[in-house]
Amino acid sequence: MPEQSPSLRTELQELMLVAVGAVPGALLRWQFEVLLQDRDVLVNVVGSLILGLLLGLPYRPRVQLLVGIGFCGSLTTFSSWMVSSVDLIYSGQTLAAFGLIGMTLGLGLGGAALGLWIGRRVYALAIKPSAPPR
Amino acid sequence: MILLSSSEVGFITDFSSYQALMVGLGAIPGAWLRLRVVNHFEPLVPRKHWGTFVVNLVAAFALGLVLGLERAGRCDSSAGSTALILLVGTGFFGSLSTFSTFAVEVLATLREHRWGEAVLLTAGSVIAGLLVAAAGFSLGLVDA
Repeated sequence: MPEQSPSLRTELQELMLVAVGAVPGALLRWQFEVLLQDRDVLVNVVGSLILGLLLGLPYRPRVQLLVGIGFCGSLTTFSSWMVSSVDLIYSGQTLAAFGLIGMTLGLGLGGAALGLWIGRRVYALAIKPSAPPR
Repeated sequence: MILLSSSEVGFITDFSSYQALMVGLGAIPGAWLRLRVVNHFEPLVPRKHWGTFVVNLVAAFALGLVLGLERAGRCDSSAGSTALILLVGTGFFGSLSTFSTFAVEVLATLREHRWGEAVLLTAGSVIAGLLVAAAGFSLGLVDA
C-alpha cells in the first residue's frame, strides 16, 4: 500500500478527533432532550460555557478539534432551537417562543462570557507562571 | 419495537442502544461536514462566523422539514421511522448545526466593539433561522 500523503493523514486525524468528540456530545444532547424536555436550553448554555473556557486557555488545535468542534459543536444545536421556536409559534405559543429565543441567547452568551473569564483566570493563575519566560 | 433481533446484530442487545448507535452514527458526518464548510468559508469571507451561519441555516431548514413530515403523519411510529429520525434529525442535522460556536462568535464581535456586526449576526441568524425552519416545517406539512 502506498504511503499516505500528509494531507490525507491530517484529514483522517481531524476526522478522528472530531468524531471522538461529536459522538458523546450528540448522545448527551439526545438524552437531555428526552429527560429534561427543556428544548435544549441546558445543553446550549453548558456547551457555550465549555467553548468559552477553552478559548480562554492557550490555543491547542487538537483540543479545539476534539472538545470545541467535536464535543461542544455537537452537544449544542442551533437547528433544534429554531425548530422548537417555530413549533411553539405554530401551536399559538408565540410568547413562549420569544422567551425560548431570548433565554437561550442571553444565557448562552452569558455562559460563553463566564467560561472565557474562568479560562483566562485559570491560565493567568495556574498555567502562565510555570511557563518558561520568553 | 425491535427492529433487528439481537442475534442478527450481535453486540447490540437492546433497543435503546440501537437508538444511541443511530444518534452517534449521524453525529460523525454532521460534525465533520460542519468543520469542512467552516474551514472552506474561512479564506473566502473575512469573518469565519458566516460559515457557521450557513451550516446552521441549512440544518434548521432540514430539521424543520423532518419535524413537519413527522407531524403530518408521514413517519409511522415503527422502530425504523424512529431510528431514521434519530439518525438524520438528532444525529446528523443536530450536530451539523451548533449554538456554542455561534455564541462565542457573537461574544468575539461584542468584545471587539463591533456592535453593528454583533447585531447583524445575532438578528440575522435568529430571523433567518426562524424563517427557514418555518419553511421546512410547512413543506413537511404540505399534502403531497
